[in-house]
This record gives sequence, structure tokens and C-alpha cells, in this order.
Amino acid sequence: MVMMQERSREDMMGTLADITTIARWEVKKSFSMMSRDVLPLAIVLFVLLVAVTGFSAQSGLHLQDGMYRIGVDDPTMAQILSGDARFTVFQLAERDLIAQRGDFDILVINGYAYTGAGSRSVAARKTLERDYAKYVNSVYNREEDLFAAYPLWIDTQSVKSELSFLATQSGQYVSAAPVRAAPVPEGPVEQVETPSPTLSVTKEELRGQLVQSNAENTQISRYTETLSSSTVTMGTFKTPSQLSPPLPFDSIILVFVFIFPLYFTSQFFMMSIMNERIERKGEILLSAPVKTVSIIIGKMLPYLLGMLAICAALTLWIQASPLIILPLVPVIFFFLANALLIGMLSRSFKELSFISIFFSTVATSYLFFPSIFANVHVISLISPLTLIVLTLQGTPWTVTDYLYSTSLFWLTSAVLFYIAAKNFKEERLFSEKGLVTRMREFLSEILSRKHPFLSLFLLTGFSIPFVFMVQMMCLVLFFNLPMPASLVFLLLFAALIEETAKGIGIYTLYNRDPGFLTWKNLILASGATAIGFLVGEKLLLFVTLAQISDSVFGSILFLSLGSLWLPLLLHFAGVLIVACFIKKWGAKGFVPGLALAMVVHCLYNLYFILGWLL
Amino acid sequence: MKAKHLSIIAKKEFRGLLSERTILLAILLQLFVALFSSFLMVGLTSMYDPTSLSKYSRFKYNIGYAGDESDLSRYLYASPDFRVFQMDLSTGVTALKERKLAAVIWVPDTAPDADDPIKITLYTLQNDLQSAIVDVKLKDIFLRYEKDLREVRVDRLNEQPLPLRFPPASGGGDFYEFVYGLLIPLLVFMPAIIASALVIDLITEEYQHDTLETLVSTPVTFSEMVWGKVLACEVLVPAQAAVWLVLLMINGIAIENAGLILLHVTISSFVLVLLGALTALHYRERTAAQFIFSTALVVVILFALSLPANPMNLLTRLAVGTAGTEQWAVLAAVLAVAALLGYATQKYAERISRISYTG
Repeated sequence: MVMMQERSREDMMGTLADITTIARWEVKKSFSMMSRDVLPLAIVLFVLLVAVTGFSAQSGLHLQDGMYRIGVDDPTMAQILSGDARFTVFQLAERDLIAQRGDFDILVINGYAYTGAGSRSVAARKTLERDYAKYVNSVYNREEDLFAAYPLWIDTQSVKSELSFLATQSGQYVSAAPVRAAPVPEGPVEQVETPSPTLSVTKEELRGQLVQSNAENTQISRYTETLSSSTVTMGTFKTPSQLSPPLPFDSIILVFVFIFPLYFTSQFFMMSIMNERIERKGEILLSAPVKTVSIIIGKMLPYLLGMLAICAALTLWIQASPLIILPLVPVIFFFLANALLIGMLSRSFKELSFISIFFSTVATSYLFFPSIFANVHVISLISPLTLIVLTLQGTPWTVTDYLYSTSLFWLTSAVLFYIAAKNFKEERLFSEKGLVTRMREFLSEILSRKHPFLSLFLLTGFSIPFVFMVQMMCLVLFFNLPMPASLVFLLLFAALIEETAKGIGIYTLYNRDPGFLTWKNLILASGATAIGFLVGEKLLLFVTLAQISDSVFGSILFLSLGSLWLPLLLHFAGVLIVACFIKKWGAKGFVPGLALAMVVHCLYNLYFILGWLL
Repeated sequence: MKAKHLSIIAKKEFRGLLSERTILLAILLQLFVALFSSFLMVGLTSMYDPTSLSKYSRFKYNIGYAGDESDLSRYLYASPDFRVFQMDLSTGVTALKERKLAAVIWVPDTAPDADDPIKITLYTLQNDLQSAIVDVKLKDIFLRYEKDLREVRVDRLNEQPLPLRFPPASGGGDFYEFVYGLLIPLLVFMPAIIASALVIDLITEEYQHDTLETLVSTPVTFSEMVWGKVLACEVLVPAQAAVWLVLLMINGIAIENAGLILLHVTISSFVLVLLGALTALHYRERTAAQFIFSTALVVVILFALSLPANPMNLLTRLAVGTAGTEQWAVLAAVLAVAALLGYATQKYAERISRISYTG
């Protein structure tokens, strides 16, 4: 007993030593490569970057210059408008303006704006309105009697609903039935302190805030002011024109600052893996008496530490709370896991570039877009970035929030690492087969030959986080279609994704060994897959996704929350159809089988949704 | 330099792209970005202008009003969006917490012409899409009330802003600048960036896979090989950009001067692709080349954007139809830079082939 413990400790020490050795190699290798003549040029470019950033901050970004043509008769007005580069301002006499009115998107004559019907005219009018409002505010901000210029102030107070936010999630409106009499609360009435009728800040403080919010005329705010007029406010006091949905654009731009370097660093890891394969140096490493896990961890460690260091440095730089790093950690692991797998999968640089660009776009949108709605809708919490936005705003979040938004990232990274570790060996790394074949081989590697059914059960169970991620993406994508179309597409795609996830295991097994699919094995395999899917789904749903699963869309995605037998039967039927098709027509039967399974799945869902709607 | 050799190389690269089906990924990517940006637009429009979502506009929101009658309460009663209940503040807030109300407004009894401002307290639900919509609808009413109050206190103002009256709004136009001033230049320019990253891959691959020897032993010269690869990437740019324009037009976005846009993008992309080729020839190793190139790319694009009448601004102006004759001057300038880089690439390629294969 003692000896065994001793040995396992020695093993541990050995593994640790291996990892540090490999990590040191990795650092040395990338530094020798970098220092050749990359470093001097990189420094020059960095200096240039700082200089150019300074230059552009001074001169502004000229992307939208001259979009509109405006004709003005009043020189003062022309002066005011020429401050906005989007307008090309023509100051002419009134009758010249009228004679040439076809050349202008908008005319300002005698204090009246005349617009055309074209979309450019309409947009020019919006811009003019905003510019004019800015000008009016700048005049009012100079007023000695500020409260004559701004007589109305609104103190916005957020109230936390005592009902869980499931209520809004499920698309319930505040009150469904028309109410004639004033609503009466069911619970005991809590005393709310009568707000003070006066503002608690001085006039000059308010003026400072108004001036500051009016001065926000950067190019970025041009896009954001379409949505929210201002981000600077004095506590909760706003003038009516400052009252807008709280979209945290500043924080989101900061979030980009975090994600971009992480993605960049993961690219180096991806290339390092790819280089091992091209230069066949990996062979030496693989033949050494070192565990593959140690190789992977060793090679990854420098990049992981580098990414953490970057995050820490950025956090220090923007002087934010170190809590920001917590939601970033699963994102880092997710990037690294994907980089590892992409580096192992692609055959050429082109393939590497395209796959990694594709992955980064998809991952960035998954991370980025939900966080736009950080203050508005709970669905934003499916992205860990929302937690960063909240931290930057000083809004606290709970451990449950953290689990909710990061668990998918933790799970998928773990599964991807496992697949990569299992496949990190010669015949996989140096094979020249096509991408799809290689993906299948990778999957085949993690399906045990001894316990095929247990493997199927686990594979399907662990595919659930990926299924959810893809379905979430579909939810976001189809969200913009008109209502019946979005439901139909979601219905079809959700079914297709689930059936694909279930069928892929049996398909892989068949490809490895066509003789495996005897009728008995086919039934058993379908059963194992169906149970695996059900268990995985339930576990994840109950741990994290219960909040979304109650919405209208959620009811399509995760309909099977109710009873257990029906969904199990559905999953079983789906896999069985695919498996039978494969058995009958071989690999060619996979796609038609999926199609039929999808139809069955849709009919099942439709029956329940229709039943639920009626 | 023989045209036939160039086309042989370019065709070889195309075959490689097709056989790996990587081009499929590029098309998928385009579709994905297009779908996503439309999600962004529709999603954000509905946030800013909730009436665009009809299912919200037919809805009447219940609102609790605590305080004395005022012009504000009269506006609220008259509004078709709200059903207003006069109630006690504490009762109202409790009902709000139970989601029986959408908002509660508390109004003090400050006189309209008082020295102090009127401070209204607005209670809404936290983290709720509907609060955002209610906010937007209330904003209109508050603005009207603010205007009335300003009218009452007008004697106390020193300066009147220059008047400007607008005809009644027809709606829309919110996302015009986003689409034409950001999305279109970005999407149309993306193929140029992809092509320049691709040329690096194509050139460094020959070095790192040791296939250069075989290639140069054929009648194709080294510089022909480089130009063939540049050509292959360059051809992709107008094709991909055209796909973008068609996608946008299918989405109902009218784009003027599509032909000229493609011309400008193709010429500008030469600058980036040649920059990529030069970097790749210098480093002959993908990691270093891509790293240096992407950093340089940020510098170049940021610098270009800081200049007035830059190629990307031109794309915006062409798309909306306000580009004048200055576009030809810009085109000539870009062409000159491209020619300069082309000359450098040719000289560099010649030097490399002299050093490696004759000396």
C-alpha cells in the first residue's frame, strides 16, 4: 500500500518533470523562431501602431465622410453642420437651392428642413436631427438657469422582480388579461420611501455631465447613438432625451480588447501543433517515453500562462476588478482546445487558415452578440462575456450565473481535449486523408472496441453540450426571421442537429467495422445512444439551462422535459431509423436516414407544440 | 514571364482549394456573417424602435401613477400605449414586483414654474426586455412634457438656439449609416483580407512542405510561381465581393455602382495581397509571416481610415451614390502604390531565385 502510494507519487513527479521540460522546449523553440528577424520588425510595427492610433485619434476615422449632400441658406447653420463630416454642406441663396433641389438629400431654408422620400434622404434627416439636438443642447448647457433649460429630470430605479425571471423568458407579458381596475398585489405591501422631490447633486455637477455626454462625438458613438443617446449619466438622473435602453457599448468594446489577444495567442499554439506535423519533429517527441497527455499539457502550458498573463495585464491596465479573469478562463480553455484540434486536423495551411477563421467568427459571435443585451435580457447570460460586461459596470453576479454561462465552455473544452489526447499519435498526426475522414477517425478513436455500447452512451451524452451550443446559435440566427418561419426553421434544424448527434456514433462504428451492425447490436446500440442522449440532456438542463428551456423557442429545443418515456422512445426511434438505413444501404444510407429521422422528430415535436398551443 | 505559366500555377492553386473544399468553408462563413448581421440589425431595431415588432405594439402597458394630476398624467391617459392607474406608491411598486404593472411613476408636487426642476422617479423591472420597451415609449411622453415645461420657463433663458423645424417623420432610416457606412465596406473588403492571408499560406507552404525544388525544376520560373499565386488569390476577391453584393441586394439593400465597387476593391486588394506575398517571401515560415502581416495590416488599415477620401470611404460613397470624380484620383493613388509593391515583389523574387538557384 505504502509502496503503491510511493510509486504513484514518483509517477506524478515524473509527469510534472516531463511537462515542464516540454513547456521549456516550446518556449525556447518559439523564441528562437521569433528572434530571427521577427522581433525587430514586430517592435517597429508596434511603434507604428501606437503612432497611427494617435494619428487616427486626432484626425478621426473617415469611413462615412460625404454620405449626404445638404443645402443650407443660413451661414451660421452651415457653420454648425460643417462640423459633421458626413455632410457635404453647400451654402447657397434660397432660390439657387430650390432650383438645384434635386442635387441635395436635404434642404434647410428659413429654419425649415425639406427632405425627399428616398432612403438616403430619410437617413440624412435622422443625422440632421441628431446634430441639431446636439447643437441645441450645447446652447442650453451654457444657460445660467440650467433648470429652465432642463426642467424635467428622471430618476430611474430598477426593481428586482420577486417572481423568477422565468416569467419573461417564457414570453409572458406583464399582464395578459386586460385589467379594468387597478391591480392589487397579492403579497403584503412593502413600504417604499417617498422619493425626495429635489435632486441630490448640484447644478454645476449636472452641467458637467450634460456637457460631457454632449461631447461624445467619436466615430464609435455615431453607431451607438442610434441606439442609446448617452452613456454618461449622473448616477440615476437623466433628462428625458437621455432615457434609452441601456446598451453597454463601451464595455463591449473593452470585451473585444480581451478576446482578440486571446484568439491571437491561440493561433500560435495552433501553428506550433501544425509545425510538429509538417516538419515531422513530433515523431521524435512521440517516440520518447513520455505520456501524450504530458506532451499536450507541456506544449499548451506556455500559451495558457501567456494568455492568463495577457488577461491580468489588461485587467490591470483598465483598472477593473480581477473577477473579470474568472469568466475568461473557460474561454481560454475553449480557444486552446479548438486550436489543438484544428492544428491536428488540417492538412495544409489554407485549410488551417479557413477553419480557424471560420471557427473564430462563429466563436466570437457566440461570445459577443448575447452580451450586447447584457442589461436587457437574461438570454445574454449564455455568453461568459456578459459577466465581464456586468463586472465592468459594477453589477454583481452569482455563482449560479457563472455556472450558467460558463458550463458549456468547460464541458466542450474538456471533451475536445479528450478527443485530441486520444488521437495524439503518429498514424493520426501524419495521415494525409480528407478532413471528413479524419474527423471520423478522430471520433472512432474514442469509441472503445471492448465496450462499444458504453462508449456510445458516453459519446452521445457528451455530445449534448455541442448540440446545445449549435442549437443556441440556431436560436439566435433564426430569431430574425418572421414568426412562423423562425419556428419552422428552428423545428427542422433542432431535429436535424439532434439526430445527427445521435447517428454519428453508429455511423462511425459502421465505418470502422461494417460487420458490427448485427440486428442485436443495432438495437443495443440504438438503446445505448438514446439513453445516453436522454441522460446528458436531463443533466445539463437541470444544472444550467432551465431558464431558457421554458420559453417558446425552448419548448421546441428541449421539449422532452415532461415525462421520460416519450422522449426516450423518440430518441430510440430516431437512432433506430438512421441505424437501419446504414445497415441496409451502408454509409450512403446515413443522409437519407437522417432526413427521415428528422421528419419523425419534427412530427413528434409538432404534435406536442400543437397540443400545447390548442 | 509567360502568361501560360502564370495560369498553370493559378489553376493548380484553385484545384487545391477545390479539392480541400476549403472554399466551401469560406462561402459558409459569408452566409453566416450575413445571417448574423441581419440578426443584429433586426434585434437592435426592435430594441430601439419597439413598434417595428408588431406583437409589442398592439400591447397596452399597465402603469402605476403616484402623485398629483399634472400635464404628464394627462399625456399618459391620452396615450394609446398605456393604461394608467392612480395608486399609492408602495402598492404600485409591490404590484410591479409581482409583474402586475410595467412601470410605476412618482411625480412630486413641484410647480411647473418653480426654481427647481421637476424630479420624476421611474420604477421599472431590472433585466427585462419589456422595461426597455416601456422606457422607449415613456421617453416620447417625457420629451413632450419637457418641452411644455421649457415653454413655461422660457423667460429665464438667455439665448435661444437657431430654430429648425422638421416635417413629420416617416420613420425608418435608423440603420442606413450602419449598413452603408460600416457593413458594406467591411463585408466587401473582407475578401481582400482573406486573399492576402491566403497568399501567405500558398507561398510559405511551398517552403515548409519542401515542394519548391520540384516546382522550380519545371519550366516555371520562381517569379512566375509567385505571380501565379498572387493571381489566384486576386481572382477570388471580385468573385467573393460580388457574392456579398448579391447577398446584400437579396436582403433588400439597394447598392449603387456595384461595378465600380468591385473595380475599387480589386485594385485595393492588390496592395494587401502584394504586401502578404512580400512578407511570405521574406519569412518563408507561416507563423512569423502571418504574425507580422496581421500586425502590419492593422497599421495599414487604421492609417488608411484616418485619411479623408480613403478607399473604404469611397466604397461607402459609391454604394450610396454620392461619389464624385475624386474617386479616380484615389484609384490612381492606390494603383500607384500597388505598382510600387508589384515592382518590389518582382525584384525580390528575382533576387531570391538568383541567390538560391544560380549562385
